[in-house]
Amino acid sequence: MTTMYVLDVPENTHLAKVAAEDPAVTVGRIGPYFEITSDAAIVIDRRATGCRHAVWYSAIGGIARDSRITQHDKDALRVEPA
Amino acid sequence: MTKLDHRVKGVDHAAFPTFDPAGTVRFYRDVLGFPVVHSICAVGWGPEDHPDFIHFFFDIGNDDRIAFFYYFGTEPFNTGRGDAYSAFGPDVPTYFIRSRHLAIHVDGYEDLMEYRRRLDDSAWPVEMQIQHETIESIYTHDPNGYMIEITRALRPVTPQEDLDANLTIDALLDVVAEPEPSLAKLLARKAELIVDRAPAWELARAGQEAGR
Repeated sequence: MTTMYVLDVPENTHLAKVAAEDPAVTVGRIGPYFEITSDAAIVIDRRATGCRHAVWYSAIGGIARDSRITQHDKDALRVEPA
Repeated sequence: MTKLDHRVKGVDHAAFPTFDPAGTVRFYRDVLGFPVVHSICAVGWGPEDHPDFIHFFFDIGNDDRIAFFYYFGTEPFNTGRGDAYSAFGPDVPTYFIRSRHLAIHVDGYEDLMEYRRRLDDSAWPVEMQIQHETIESIYTHDPNGYMIEITRALRPVTPQEDLDANLTIDALLDVVAEPEPSLAKLLARKAELIVDRAPAWELARAGQEAGR
């Protein structure tokens, strides 16, 4: 299981929307956070989100202990089972 | 933890030394238009060999002030990379030197651009204009080498950002108490705090909204 959390603020809504386009990914909520989960990797394309760099590189609220970031650069964010 | 009541009222003044009072007055009063609001002319006194000095203040809005000390008969103590207060050797990275700065708030884009025009017409033009996460800022260095930022909010701060900030800080305190703190460790700890505390926060907030 892969789980990441993203705070629900206007800058981050596109990121959650792009994540949800993958049918393997579920975007739920826990308090004011998006809870983004998948049985496999979560991959989010930065250009598809339209996030400028400052937003993109500070968007992650939390990464569950059973998950890890394997890519977070100008192209994509990739979180996989640890 | 007891809740401490919050009584303070912003910045009374932030003070910096200057060896260039003429440039400092040009920059803050004549270029930016910050009024001189207070000054003290003092004879050196006290146990140390203290020079005579002028302590002068500029209004930075909101009744807050930036203040300078000019000491007669003194030469800069530091030379090299840095500012009038501190200098750094070649081993110190630029991001670190640039970390300390004063950011002055404006209400919107028009005001930000007005200050940009004033600086760009001066000897201290804007060096960077950047949209950060939720603010947009312009930067320059004043005649003393101090980095000055002028910034506007891109949108109002939302209540959930206060929760998020507090979870970040609690996670930070947990990871710096352990060896080799890292962002990855912080994000793992913060995920646990989100699961523990975010649902209750939202319920409490919904209750407050309903009670209005």
